[in-house]
Amino acid sequence: MPYRFSDRRRLFLFLMAAPAVIYVAAIGLWPLSQGIWYSFYRYNLLRPARTSFVGLQNYVDIFTDEATRTAILNTFQFTIFSVGLQLIFGFCLALLLWRDSRFNRAVLAFLLVPSTITPLVVGLIFKALLGADYGMIGYFLSEAGIGPRTGLLTDASTALWVLILIDCWEWTPLMTLILLAGLKALPADLLEAGTVDGATAWQRFRLLILPLMLPSIFLALTLRTMDAFRVFDSVFVTTGGGPNDATNTLMMLGVKEGLQFFNVGYASAVGNVTLLFIALIATVLLLVVRRADVRINGR
Amino acid sequence: MALMATTAYTQAKSLDGVTLTIASMNDGFSKVLTELAPAFKEETGADLKVEIMDYGTLLTKTTADFVGDTKGYDLVTMDIVWAGAYAENKYSVDLTDWVKRDAAELDLDDIYPVALKSLGQYDDHYVAFPFAAYANVLAYRKDLLEAAGLKPPASMEELVADAKKLTDPSKKQYGFVANGQKGPAVAQDWMQYNNQLGGSILDKDGKPALNSEANIKSLTVYKELFTEAAPPGAIEYDWGGREESFRQGMSAFMQTWSVGAAAYSDPKVSNIVGKAGIAVAPVAAGMTPQYGVGGWGLAINADIDTSKQEAAWTFIKWVTSKKIHKEFNMLGAGGFMRKSQMTDPDLLAKYDFLPVIAQTYEHGNGEFRPRIPEYPEIQDMLGTAVNSVLAGAATPKEALDKAQEAAEKLF
Repeated sequence: MPYRFSDRRRLFLFLMAAPAVIYVAAIGLWPLSQGIWYSFYRYNLLRPARTSFVGLQNYVDIFTDEATRTAILNTFQFTIFSVGLQLIFGFCLALLLWRDSRFNRAVLAFLLVPSTITPLVVGLIFKALLGADYGMIGYFLSEAGIGPRTGLLTDASTALWVLILIDCWEWTPLMTLILLAGLKALPADLLEAGTVDGATAWQRFRLLILPLMLPSIFLALTLRTMDAFRVFDSVFVTTGGGPNDATNTLMMLGVKEGLQFFNVGYASAVGNVTLLFIALIATVLLLVVRRADVRINGR
Repeated sequence: MALMATTAYTQAKSLDGVTLTIASMNDGFSKVLTELAPAFKEETGADLKVEIMDYGTLLTKTTADFVGDTKGYDLVTMDIVWAGAYAENKYSVDLTDWVKRDAAELDLDDIYPVALKSLGQYDDHYVAFPFAAYANVLAYRKDLLEAAGLKPPASMEELVADAKKLTDPSKKQYGFVANGQKGPAVAQDWMQYNNQLGGSILDKDGKPALNSEANIKSLTVYKELFTEAAPPGAIEYDWGGREESFRQGMSAFMQTWSVGAAAYSDPKVSNIVGKAGIAVAPVAAGMTPQYGVGGWGLAINADIDTSKQEAAWTFIKWVTSKKIHKEFNMLGAGGFMRKSQMTDPDLLAKYDFLPVIAQTYEHGNGEFRPRIPEYPEIQDMLGTAVNSVLAGAATPKEALDKAQEAAEKLF
């Protein structure tokens, strides 16, 4: 009987999926719910006796404390500028590498080198290069009298921008790769038709390539934005959030509060706020791209 | 067969089959501990496993072990500033009764009181036993001072003036170097200077007094030294960078822990072999001398079984005994704390600066970094405040006012 069959099938599917569901719940949902629970407490592992329920106080602190507000603004500045620049650089490079040739393939292979180095090591490399006393770049900059005397990473006005550029150095190639894959998948006949119809290069880019590339752009933007928003390793090793709080980010704050001071409650709240921001950004990106898609492609 | 049985019998030691695991800070002494392990095994039968970690990892892993009651480590090297947290949370075995019981064996009179108190005790209880004390000293360049016709500075005021005199950026020569890096590095170095200039982090009642007049004044001096006499990159130096700049010959004066002194005469890492001198750290003119003392105690994890605790105590007694502790320092651990070590001919032949360390311990102050449970957070607030002053983002008063406001919330 079909009714019974569907019942058994459902049971079968459920049993097949159960291990994965249990696994995800154990390592994903459980810590997440714990994190939300802890965030309502003033709870420090070093002072467990003084634990108390504080409601939303941790969240209020995050948004009223000046240092934390700076960290939030820094995180946004870092994300917007590094992902924005990477999108522009990445698109330009992808267009240059679009045509399939041996030279382009070789360039692409080399281009990927920075992305293969862990951000921690990238940070250490740039810290060594930019140091005012021993760094190769830092030494010449200071000899030439360009930039602050104490080095670009130790000046409050330049440090964050240097970190943004370091991020671009490392991650533009990934952006290029995603966009290049998108370009290669474009329907060749459509572009050819555009050329035959006498469209200029700019018109072809604006009216054909860009609209067709929207899904790839969305993918690249989302991936990189979520990643950039969680920036930690490179900041940790280059500036430690300094000078002053000029390069402090949300993740730096969370790690410091959680793993250095063992302020589990406050660190959980910082983690939850970061998560909310990322979810919010992803949603906004999705809406923007969908609206652009509707406007350009009419669907 | 019978012979083997006899040998086995005669070799049976009190701690056969026991393994003691130490969570150790990666400092001069950590390598020495691993070198001493076979001798300990020989004498007692116990295996010694030394897990060496950097400061942050050590704090994180041992705290996780204490909080989770996981008994991962039997012994832990305890930084002097963690004593408050250890005491409040009862992380470690209270050694007070054992110390009393074994006082003669420990030869307590031979250990400097400042080491006994600040490296081991909190509220008159031993949360750890002193193991490697460090003296804060002034390292200076004999050749540069001589060329300028100067003597090692007798006061902080002289130090500041001499440091400025010895600075000549065109020759890449700077008078002074200290930690500038945001975080513990800059906080600890400044607290040291602050102490020598008569400032204090806590008031008489043990409440934070970060923005006291004396503290603001000393931070002003610190900033002045950084802008006028330190290498440009000093604002991002931590302990390693600071020592490197001195060993490379860039800086004339550096206040430092005595543990680094042996490296100045090592041609593999030093450009200034034979040119470095060690003196007691100067204090402000007219002030009673008091010098910074820091270092490490050995604490026993309170979660482990009683028999293990006693085995761990046996190790502590063994490694801090006169004979082994001398060996420990002969091997380069750099943590002197016994009076007898200061006049020991073998040690003196190797370390000619021991009299300076002795003088430092005699007038030692182990409390200039407050050893209270709230210390890590206070250190972080100061680390940000002092760094922001050095970076020119705030005046000493603004920065310390802000830190004080935040510190008050902790109490």
